[in-house]
Amino acid sequence: MDPNALFLQLLTGLQLGAIYALIALGLTLIFGTLGFVNFAHGALYVIAIYAAVTVAANTNFLLAIILVPALLFAIGVAFERGLIRHFYTRPHTDQILITFGLAIVVEELMKWIFGANNIPFTLPEWGSGLMVFYSDWSAVPAVPVFQEAPSLWVPFIEGFVTYQFWRVVLIAVSLVTVAGLFALLQFTRFGLVVRAGMRDPEMLRFLGINIAQKFAIVVGLGAAIAGIAGVFGGPITQVTPGVGMALLVPSFLVVVIGGMGSLSGALIAAILIGMALSFSAEIANLQQIVVYLIAVVVLLVRPRGLFGKKGVFE
Amino acid sequence: MSTETVSGPVRPAAATGTRSMGREALILLVFSAIVLSMPFWLPLLGGYEGLATKIMVWAIFAVGFDILLGFTGLLSFGHAAFFGGAAYVTGYVFRDHTSEIIVAFIASQLGVLVLAAAIGFLSLRRTGIYFSILTLAFAEMMFAAALAIFAPFTGGYDGLTMRTTPTLFGMPMQGLYVFYMGAIMLIFGFAVARMIKNSAFGLMLRSIKENPMRLQYTGVNVWAYKMAAFMISAHFAGVAGFLMVVYEPYVATKFLHWSTSGEVVIMSVIGGVGTLFGPIIGAGFLMYFENVVQAAIGEQWKLVLGLVFVLVVIFLPGGFVQLGAMIWRATGHKVRERRHNVPDMEPDTQRERNLG
Repeated sequence: MDPNALFLQLLTGLQLGAIYALIALGLTLIFGTLGFVNFAHGALYVIAIYAAVTVAANTNFLLAIILVPALLFAIGVAFERGLIRHFYTRPHTDQILITFGLAIVVEELMKWIFGANNIPFTLPEWGSGLMVFYSDWSAVPAVPVFQEAPSLWVPFIEGFVTYQFWRVVLIAVSLVTVAGLFALLQFTRFGLVVRAGMRDPEMLRFLGINIAQKFAIVVGLGAAIAGIAGVFGGPITQVTPGVGMALLVPSFLVVVIGGMGSLSGALIAAILIGMALSFSAEIANLQQIVVYLIAVVVLLVRPRGLFGKKGVFE
Repeated sequence: MSTETVSGPVRPAAATGTRSMGREALILLVFSAIVLSMPFWLPLLGGYEGLATKIMVWAIFAVGFDILLGFTGLLSFGHAAFFGGAAYVTGYVFRDHTSEIIVAFIASQLGVLVLAAAIGFLSLRRTGIYFSILTLAFAEMMFAAALAIFAPFTGGYDGLTMRTTPTLFGMPMQGLYVFYMGAIMLIFGFAVARMIKNSAFGLMLRSIKENPMRLQYTGVNVWAYKMAAFMISAHFAGVAGFLMVVYEPYVATKFLHWSTSGEVVIMSVIGGVGTLFGPIIGAGFLMYFENVVQAAIGEQWKLVLGLVFVLVVIFLPGGFVQLGAMIWRATGHKVRERRHNVPDMEPDTQRERNLG
């Protein structure tokens, strides 16, 4: 295979995986801690893209980057305190139903306010244009488009290739977000409590820790990650009310393939799905169903997912 | 000795044998009268003849869905696969082979049989939340495949259109004929569902809903029962999909879309899960809402419907049937206690209790 094409497909795979990873991480975080399947997670993403589009169009994109995740965090906390909390003692099916209902309400509300059609999401000036990857700078043509674009030296490719800069930004932001989340859970006291809560919430309560309050923050975090995904992913996916549900189904599969409640599993599964989507693009008609085929194979071979632990939500 | 475990649960029903038989017959008679007279009373409420047929289609779908959700406690988000799958097979037979509905009916049910066996086998490897996600995923896979790989057969985004009028032994099926065929199918389906509800099999399904683990320990093949319930409800969905195409000779890709699965979930929950009447009322309500109320409130009808659904889930877990029971009780009547949405008792349910 041509190394340049291979490199571009790897980038595309990463970029596709990045969005799934951000949404799936939020899902699996909420699921792992609260045992709650959030069918409204796609709706959170929809709120985020519309908030981002509105803020960016009226003020400044940088403001959207700060405001939207904060807004989503607040929505997430309010969502947990106001609604989810009352459903812990109700059956799983009710939990799914209430979030499913909310997803419909949000989708229809957005349709009402913004219309059903795609709203153009204009990229900020610093984020538009191309990025140049080169192994040999002398091969890059001496025109301003290439010379002034952000560039990165990469071994193994021939000459140079270009890629949309924004997609690279999305990959980078996802990496930082994921690293931040893992660091938060691994190295802080808050993370310690949350991880312990994922194992045995009862014992934590005996120890006098207010896990209910911690879990509200967890839902807020999951929503804020969806917010980040919305700000950076919105220009790439689409800005329509239906995009939430369209992203939710593959993200669910990412969670299932990775193993319910496993953060690293979700991350690896997201990259796997992204790569599969990217590399199957050339084979006619395979791309649309490749995600499901992987899910079928994983379920047949390892019903609890790649990194699912024995005894966890089986 | 082995018969003891089977006959045990049946005894209460058998003891009241003749009386419950009479009561069953009365229920069925009243139900049939209401359903068969629908074309006469529905227009008085602002509906139209075709709407009555549509209500039949969705009521059949919802009754079958209740066997899975209401009795067994499995929430499938993928029944569009069976509804749409049967619709496509029916449309394919009508377009390319024969207008005879018997042939189309048999073909579509065979298609559903294969499909339900495959999806059921894969989805029932997991329970609870996983099951909902997996059924959703496999139905979406069908949807994606219909638009891509199978596009030559399904017509892709255009759907299947056919010019033939479906016939029953050469007699064209249109208008009220389709309604009465649907009504008979609904009455038959309702009777079957009632029979299941009152049978040892139905009791087993409800026990599985309450505590699958305990049944597993007593040596019951829980998986086989779940699979049976899944297959039965899939066939109801298939009959509904078949009827939809007989009613309107067009197969839309929407039939396979998750929103179709969502609709049957909404109507079951709004009406009252596990009651059989509830989902039928829910189907009527949703169709009425979608076709008649929509004219009054315009594009926002879905938003209103979503809000109604959310409110019902929060405050009325037993749906309209629960509301009816509450009103009945408030007016001084006695109501038999009914447990709504009993927890599906996963191993982790206890865990979540502790969070509250």
